[in-house]
Amino acid sequence: MMLLPCPWCGPRNVSEFRYVSELVPRPDPAAASPGEWRDYLYLRGNQRGWVTERWYHRAGCGQYFLVDRETATDQTRPRQDAR
Amino acid sequence: MTAPGAPPARMRLGPQPGEVIDRSAPLSFRWNARPYLAFGGDTIISALAAAGERVFSRSFKYHRPRGILTASYLDPGCTVQAGDEPNVRGAHRLVEDGMDVRPQNSWPSLRFDVKAANQLAAAFLPAGFYYKTFIRPQRLWPAYEHVLRRFSAGGTTSAHAAAEYYDKRYAHPDVLVAGGGPAGMAAALAAARAGASVLLVDEEHQLGGHLRWSGQAGLAALRELTDQVAAEDAIEVMTNSVVLGRYDGNWLAVVQRGLPGVTERLIKARAGVLVAAPGLIERPYVFAGNDLPGVMLSTAARRLIALHAVRPGDRAVVLTANASGDAAAADLTRAGVEVAHVADARRGGDVVRAHGRGALRAVELADGSRHDCDLLVTATGWTAPMSLLTMAGDRPVYSQRAARFFPDPQRLPGDVLPAGGIAGDGSLDELVAHATAVGAEAARRASAASQAAAGHSAGAGHSAGAAAPGISSGPAREPVAIPELPAGEHPELFRGRTHGFVDLGEDVSSKDLQTAVQEGYDSAELAKRYTTATMGPTQGKLEVVNVVAILAGLTGRTIAQTGTTTWRPPYAPVTLGALAGRIFEPVRYSPMQPWHEQHGATPLVAGAWIRPDHYGDPAAEARRVRESVAIIDVTPIGKLDLRGPDVPKLLNLLYVNKWSKLGVGRVRYGAMCAEDGVVLDDGVTGRLGEEHYLMSTTSSGAETVAEWAENWLQTAHPDWQVHLTPVTTAFASMNIAGPRSRELLSRVASGVGLSPEAFGYMQVRTGEVAGVADCVMWRIGFTGELSYELHVPASYGLHVWEALLAAGEDLGVGVFGVEAQRILRLEKGHLIVGQDTDGLTQGFSAGLDWAIKLDKDDFIGQSELAWQAASQDYPQLVALQPADGSVVPPEGSQIVQGTAIEGRITSSRMSPALGRSICLAQLSAGLAVPGTQVTVLLPGGQRVPARVMEHLAHVDPEGERIRG
Amino acid sequence: MAELLARSPVTPASPVVADGWEVSGLRSSASLTLADLTPLAKVAVRARPAGAMASALGVPFGRAARDAAGALLIGSGPGEWLALGPAGQEAALRGRLEQTAASAAAGELVTVLDLTHGRALLRLTGAQAAATLAKVCGIDLADSRVPPGAAFRSSVAKLVADVVRDDLTSSDATGGEGQARSYLLHCERSYGQYLFDALLDAGAEFGIAVDGFRAPGI
Repeated sequence: MMLLPCPWCGPRNVSEFRYVSELVPRPDPAAASPGEWRDYLYLRGNQRGWVTERWYHRAGCGQYFLVDRETATDQTRPRQDAR
Repeated sequence: MTAPGAPPARMRLGPQPGEVIDRSAPLSFRWNARPYLAFGGDTIISALAAAGERVFSRSFKYHRPRGILTASYLDPGCTVQAGDEPNVRGAHRLVEDGMDVRPQNSWPSLRFDVKAANQLAAAFLPAGFYYKTFIRPQRLWPAYEHVLRRFSAGGTTSAHAAAEYYDKRYAHPDVLVAGGGPAGMAAALAAARAGASVLLVDEEHQLGGHLRWSGQAGLAALRELTDQVAAEDAIEVMTNSVVLGRYDGNWLAVVQRGLPGVTERLIKARAGVLVAAPGLIERPYVFAGNDLPGVMLSTAARRLIALHAVRPGDRAVVLTANASGDAAAADLTRAGVEVAHVADARRGGDVVRAHGRGALRAVELADGSRHDCDLLVTATGWTAPMSLLTMAGDRPVYSQRAARFFPDPQRLPGDVLPAGGIAGDGSLDELVAHATAVGAEAARRASAASQAAAGHSAGAGHSAGAAAPGISSGPAREPVAIPELPAGEHPELFRGRTHGFVDLGEDVSSKDLQTAVQEGYDSAELAKRYTTATMGPTQGKLEVVNVVAILAGLTGRTIAQTGTTTWRPPYAPVTLGALAGRIFEPVRYSPMQPWHEQHGATPLVAGAWIRPDHYGDPAAEARRVRESVAIIDVTPIGKLDLRGPDVPKLLNLLYVNKWSKLGVGRVRYGAMCAEDGVVLDDGVTGRLGEEHYLMSTTSSGAETVAEWAENWLQTAHPDWQVHLTPVTTAFASMNIAGPRSRELLSRVASGVGLSPEAFGYMQVRTGEVAGVADCVMWRIGFTGELSYELHVPASYGLHVWEALLAAGEDLGVGVFGVEAQRILRLEKGHLIVGQDTDGLTQGFSAGLDWAIKLDKDDFIGQSELAWQAASQDYPQLVALQPADGSVVPPEGSQIVQGTAIEGRITSSRMSPALGRSICLAQLSAGLAVPGTQVTVLLPGGQRVPARVMEHLAHVDPEGERIRG
Repeated sequence: MAELLARSPVTPASPVVADGWEVSGLRSSASLTLADLTPLAKVAVRARPAGAMASALGVPFGRAARDAAGALLIGSGPGEWLALGPAGQEAALRGRLEQTAASAAAGELVTVLDLTHGRALLRLTGAQAAATLAKVCGIDLADSRVPPGAAFRSSVAKLVADVVRDDLTSSDATGGEGQARSYLLHCERSYGQYLFDALLDAGAEFGIAVDGFRAPGI
């Protein structure tokens, strides 16, 4: 089981976390076209390599945070702006 | 210890210097329904071999008699049934007094097995035989399967076996050493001395590996190492245990066996560094007759003599290509076995074929000589069991010089290190020196990784983590130089001049591999799957190099070009019990649970909650609510305490309706949508104080909503001043419903005016109920009746519940369960999110038109809901009544028009108030017009007419009762 | 009307009444014990993780310490604390914390919330307490990782639970000298009986026994 570096609790088993999403900027709902909005809702890059993701420490501190993950190897590295 | 009729142990030797049997502890057990004697420490097979038994199983496909090959856990011919337990590794499992051991995979008996006729037909059972023969005609496959099933291998399980306790636990060693031979022990000692905590795991019942059968020098080294290991507090030793697999982040699965009171224990170990020191496994030789009982490996013969004081035969031939074979010949002579001939493969000696029926009788050698014998010992090479390394990403590299594969350190991650024989050859001193350096380096790396991980966690003074732990005393700071172990010279010996079995577990011969290649399955992975070679219980540990070498020979490639098959977890077979372990299924109870149990409630499992579904007659419970008063336990309703000046901003963001003007003492219904406009949850929120709100959610949505709200607060609006605290089970929640609910509440509540003017519909008050302070009361009506929902400090829930029932006795107060509540809310046409909506139901399809305020500033789902509203063409939630009021269409029934599906029934019940069936349905826009006749397709195919109603509420659509 | 009685989610063995709570009257001298301390006053505090209230409380996330009045203050999350006090004292405890907020952190949003009835609280005590917990919790409990006074939240028997290492001095323990290893565990109240049973099952191999509640309990 992979370890995920929680910026508050340190590395913990990934089973303590809930995956939220790749980091996707939220368009201004008032200005976004239906196309732009649905890209935001449904389209993900799903790249091979290092991706910035948001996770939630469900069985821990209860914080949402950012972490970088190599999607092919599941290596992770903490981010300076994790919190 | 007496066992009348037990055969004498005619092959048992006098005391051996390193024997592991306890001659002062005689045991008796049964084999094949006959009594046998054993000593403590005997394996099932060693005890039987001591009594002169040679055949222990029938083979997988051809039902050939099989005996000892490796005398270890891996031995493919020594799998037996012990009591209720099938597939017991007889050459590893220790005899227990009174054990009932039987052969498996033989019928009607081990000596006479009718299915052995298969071997006469071997020419007709080539590789792929089953695929080719039974594929046509396809309709006959069930019949083929029925017959073939009886020819499959395996023991028997009993449906009446007693429940057993399988355990699991976590471990966090700095260094986990897999393999307790000299290298494993040396690595463990070095790591422990550098300050690491060490878990040392070995499959055998004792530490020591090959030192245990390597003569006086080996035994002296064994004693020295085991004494040092025993003296080292930082080393936890697990014998009769196996590392099954290595996963991400050095997460290691270890199964520990032979514990008192525990059948098996699964250890989930997070190790800083894994040291793989499995030693080497001796490789069988392929030639005609190589599976006859009496043909065994040099290590098997040496184990039998040294560990169990068993003479492996009377007259032996030895084929040797290395020191292990040479030593075996000497051991045999010392043990009183007549060594008829030693064929030295280094000088051209070779075995052509072994003769015998049922057991070995003679051996034919390459020099043309023939020797009568009952024992043929082969020593033709080694296999490095690379599993744990390949699971970490390694790709084995073949060395022609050493005739085996080696790890490729370049491909290994930094937290996995091979030690000892798997990494190279050398004297005992050289192996120990290598492993000592590996152990010290492992401790250093574990410490460095732990410090790096600690640096990332920020909470001041916070240290708890699941990562590999810290090492207090000082490991080396600079990398420890690990000496290179050379690849020793060894002749390449895989298959001799004849065809024989390559995989004894799966009954695959070298001829089968030839067939596979001829038919085009010429890569290692394809030939493996076509022939099932390496797919049996040993998973390639004995046979993979022979398979690869034979394929290389057949295809004209080198062994290096051919490559090995992939080694995957588990390293050794594992029971399902060990994997399941103790099962954790969290259960939640309300404070009123004891009352429900005492009063015959039928339980309803709702997520982790156990709730009263009803107390015998849900229709009567519903009628009581309509006619007088009853109470229901609604504790699972999600409750969130919200505080701070910006709570209205949060409510406006989460809910589709407006919240800015909710006054203190007021309650409002709210629905939440996700960003795709799909209904997420609903509930009421009350304003208890100037900056204090209590939000309720659905029972199943409590956690989701809390996480949802936290997500928006933490990531989108960290500047908002809001504290959100889940308080679901801080309160026992109960609903008092029915026309007499006000009267009932007035008898127990104090300090709160209950008149309609003082406490109106959709209002909230805080006060004392039945002597309990700080109870929150809100006047809402999910059931459609006058009702009050009480949230009582949970520890007093049972007290208030009983007080209400006592106070309302003369009012005829009763209780109602979830089923009655579902009937009542359906009569009232109140939506249940997740029941009347699904993962695609957007807000306007859920009857929420009245609540959704598209003119509000940004709220979640706004864009999608605006587009939904503009489209005009979306399914709607409607009430339906079947024309025949006695028909209750099952939930999920389709609504059809011709062959087109126009909707579905989402909720349906028989209404006690109306005496007829009622429904809610999702219906396409064109048909969702009051008065329309629609057709409901019942699961049985019957079509029944139903009418679309004007209101969602079947009962009291004007809401007079609720506001009473 | 029946006497006003507070009840724990854990069904007490040999029930007696103490401080208005129905508690277990058992007394165990086993070397590994599990006690239900749910009656203790429990008050949650929410404030900025590094604000004035955090400074006034003086206990960082991941640590637990007793204050001058004997309450155990646990840093249970970033900007989140739980204070434990004697049974029946929740109003006083809450008042004290509100006072701290008013005097030390005026202008900061501070929430003081009585969770006495919202959490089940258990104490696991004995030399084998860590070995017992290791059967239900994936956190490394080595002294170097979870020393006395450490606190963490994790999955315990598949439940989100808070754990505090709060060793007892010998006078509280069962007669031996020195410190007895002890952990406080708390979870959502509705899971209390489940957690209690899971710990009893895990501790069975070490001879775990149920111990009753003794005031003040903290």
